[in-house]
Amino acid sequence: MLTYVVRRVLSTVPLLIGAMYLVHVGVSATSDPLASLRLCLPRCQEGYDRIVEIYELDQSIWVRPFAWFDDALRGDFGKSEAIGESVASVLVERGLNTAMVAIPAFLVSALLAVFLSVYSSRRQYSKTDYALTGFSFLGLALPTFFVGLVLQVFWGVWFPKWTGFKPFYTGSMRTESPLELLQSITLPVLTLVIVSVAAESRFGRANMLEIISSDYVRTARAKGLSERQVIWKHALRNAMIPLVTLWALDFAALLGGSVITETIFSWPGLGPAFVIALTKPDLDLVMGITILTALIAIIFNLIADLLYGWLDPRIRLD
Amino acid sequence: MTTGATRAPVMDEPCWLRPASQVGAKVMQSSFLGVTPYLFDGEVEFMKKHSKAIRFAASLFAVALVASACGGSDDAATEDTVADSVEETDSGTDGEGCGGSGTLIWAHEQEPGDLHLDDPENGLTITAWIRTGMWEGLFGVNSKTEFYPRLLAGEPEVVNAADGSVTVNYTLREGLKWSDGDDLTADDVKYTNDMLMAKDSAGEYIYLLGDRTGLDTITDFVVSSPSQFSVTWSQFFAGWKALFGEVHPLHVFPADPAEAAAAENDALRTWTQDGTVLPSSGPLVFSEWNKGVSMSLVCNPEYHGSTSPDAVNTGKAQVDGVQINFVPDTDAQINALKSGEADVIMTQPQLAFEEFGTNDEFIVASSAGPIYEHWGLNLFNKHLKKPEVREALALAMNKADVMKGLYTPLFGDTLPAEGLGNVYWMSNQGDYVDASGAAGYGKGDVAAAKAKLESVGYVLGSDGIYAHPSDGVLSLRVGTTGGNKLRELQQQLLQAKFKEAGIDIVIFNQPGGEYWGAQPFNEEALKCAGSGGKEGDCNVWDIAQFAWVGGPWPGGQSGVLRTGSGNNIYGFANAEFDAKADECDATVDDAKRAGCYNELNLYAVTLQKDANTGLFMLPITQKPSFYAVSATRLASYGVAPDANNAGPLLNVADFKKK
Repeated sequence: MLTYVVRRVLSTVPLLIGAMYLVHVGVSATSDPLASLRLCLPRCQEGYDRIVEIYELDQSIWVRPFAWFDDALRGDFGKSEAIGESVASVLVERGLNTAMVAIPAFLVSALLAVFLSVYSSRRQYSKTDYALTGFSFLGLALPTFFVGLVLQVFWGVWFPKWTGFKPFYTGSMRTESPLELLQSITLPVLTLVIVSVAAESRFGRANMLEIISSDYVRTARAKGLSERQVIWKHALRNAMIPLVTLWALDFAALLGGSVITETIFSWPGLGPAFVIALTKPDLDLVMGITILTALIAIIFNLIADLLYGWLDPRIRLD
Repeated sequence: MTTGATRAPVMDEPCWLRPASQVGAKVMQSSFLGVTPYLFDGEVEFMKKHSKAIRFAASLFAVALVASACGGSDDAATEDTVADSVEETDSGTDGEGCGGSGTLIWAHEQEPGDLHLDDPENGLTITAWIRTGMWEGLFGVNSKTEFYPRLLAGEPEVVNAADGSVTVNYTLREGLKWSDGDDLTADDVKYTNDMLMAKDSAGEYIYLLGDRTGLDTITDFVVSSPSQFSVTWSQFFAGWKALFGEVHPLHVFPADPAEAAAAENDALRTWTQDGTVLPSSGPLVFSEWNKGVSMSLVCNPEYHGSTSPDAVNTGKAQVDGVQINFVPDTDAQINALKSGEADVIMTQPQLAFEEFGTNDEFIVASSAGPIYEHWGLNLFNKHLKKPEVREALALAMNKADVMKGLYTPLFGDTLPAEGLGNVYWMSNQGDYVDASGAAGYGKGDVAAAKAKLESVGYVLGSDGIYAHPSDGVLSLRVGTTGGNKLRELQQQLLQAKFKEAGIDIVIFNQPGGEYWGAQPFNEEALKCAGSGGKEGDCNVWDIAQFAWVGGPWPGGQSGVLRTGSGNNIYGFANAEFDAKADECDATVDDAKRAGCYNELNLYAVTLQKDANTGLFMLPITQKPSFYAVSATRLASYGVAPDANNAGPLLNVADFKKK
């Protein structure tokens, strides 16, 4: 197992370096940090020169990534010119804000997906199954921004009009008290849950249907195991293997910042920071967020691989 | 108003004593606990086994939801209750106290990187707006885009000497104070000048990017008393009133100008010096910045009041402060206003304002700002180098279509229905002349445009588009920063009329970050413009749509259009214009100078002054500011008139919450 983990980690290093190099070259080739400064030349000459120096714009775009690698290896990810803080502190601060939304959203959607998968597969073609299927397709079809805006309007405008009170904040992060945090976190979490659970529950239902009609499940029933044991202990465990892959990808994406949801709810996470960084353009911040997202994706894929072995002992991690 | 009044008594009750429907308990509980799910055997067994834990978790969740409902309404309760008491007690005291009516919440999309206005990476207008509320200058700009004495007791005395030098004798208003209680004196103004002009030991300016235009010709600065000082320029500088737009606090920075300049470069970013907030001379004092979320400014108790002719309240701010919530998404801003999480927004698109305009709970307002949109023409394009083609474009352009489609129905009297016809003076300025309109341009005159094209050999093709025997089809690309909805709509509205005139306009936008470097400010394109078409690549762009900023001193516009200027993307080079620009800036008489600028405008927007290379700018319209404010939460508002586009921070003293 340890050998496997070490091998996996080592194999990601060239992947990471290659990805970083391509991102750096790609962003450099398609963006121009001097664009707005050209408008105010010669007045902005000092600032112009400063940006040229910071991003080494006098160098070829193929060479520039090496300077970034050099600094990054020494733990210096640069300063975010768009936010005015070091990239490291932006990643920590914004990353924690994103985690505040991403972790509950992931946990709730994962639990709901499991429950709905079991429920739907046990009652295939029932009215409830059709209803849940309809809900899933709706969740899959609706774009995230639409779900977020509908929730904003419903809880921020309509519901207070009907009832005279407003249970949730519809924008901005509030941290004055745990209660305010709960009130401000609810709608972004709910948006992510609606979008995530739709896909996950469809996936889970299909897996469960396949598993519960398999021979070993029939054998388990024949041996006289209770339905609860058959479903929750034997069938679900196997049905979860493909779901684990999906969760690893979803969780990594959520932790990397949900651009649309965070933007709509003015949540100061990594998503809006990434948009600012791309539009500015703030190359150091783009690189910082990219490397963080890549690392998270790698780590969670590794965890997913390890979980396969735990869920199905037949899988050997050699 | 009615909503607040009827709701307040209910909200005065503790949350747990209110009817359940008021706090959401009933609705929430029935939604989650009133449903009896259908469970299969295993689940029933599971439920039975873990019933206590499930009940506990469900109760906890229900309590949390009730509590959250409670918390949300408690906020409203507090504000409504405070507002009611303020309404009763502060009548007749407008301008005397500081704050008292609650915090004004402004949802806005832009967040500055820092508060150093001249940081090259921080050219956001929001930075200037925020500082407008904190640091005042010698002169302000009123709704007619004219200067008015702000920190000054009145118009200064101007003395012209025989040697051409000019001395201005200033007198500051009595009783000016910084927010920390220190006096604001003439020494602060001198300090501002000395700090901006400070050089390091190598003889280089220290201040990062402070504009020294006009300061560099000051030959003498004499402080004669705490409120009086004189400044002498070696020669008349037309933009003298634009100088010292902010006066910096001497007492919190080192006395040595060079050290002070270095210290300010750091302090301005966070608006703190050695951990202490920089003192304000404006109505607001910096309080807190929660990056990515909000910035808070509080009422300045030492504020000396506004002298703006547009100000209704000439005293201190009536709101406790302003909280700027950074909401990047336009729809989310609109929802924030609707849901009561913002009191004011200033956003687009206009459709939202149409909706707000028909709703009694909101008030919409607009004002003409100093920013104007135009089409800039590349004088080295094979078609556009012909004056007749440029004139055909000017004749076929229908600005009224743009105004009618985007502005006039909603904000009829804010901007002229025929669009803008001047790049020096804006339509709300007294010296404005619609030179384009007088020349017959911008009115969608298709027949005249066609005649112009045919006069230089263009022939109408079977596809309805003109073509030149040697230069080919008359197809021109117009580019701008992609994603700017308003500009894209303008392009589409104009495109149709050009097609009628046989001119094919291809919309060729690129993302904001890429556009400038890829098109008008592309290095090769600038080389072409700077070399008279001899070097670089003259085919990078054809027409560029973007904005320049006007102001009470329009002489700055000449800097863009002078021969060889780095911003002169058009390729315009005219020695007569350059000399005239110098002459205008040196003209002492205000009326003559204004007329002189109107003459310069003729070079840019008509062929009257330069029949060969004139007419390379097609002004379209000023960019108005749109505001929507909550009528139910605000008793008064001060967003318009606002010639600076500076938002609610310009006339913040006029805001009052209910």
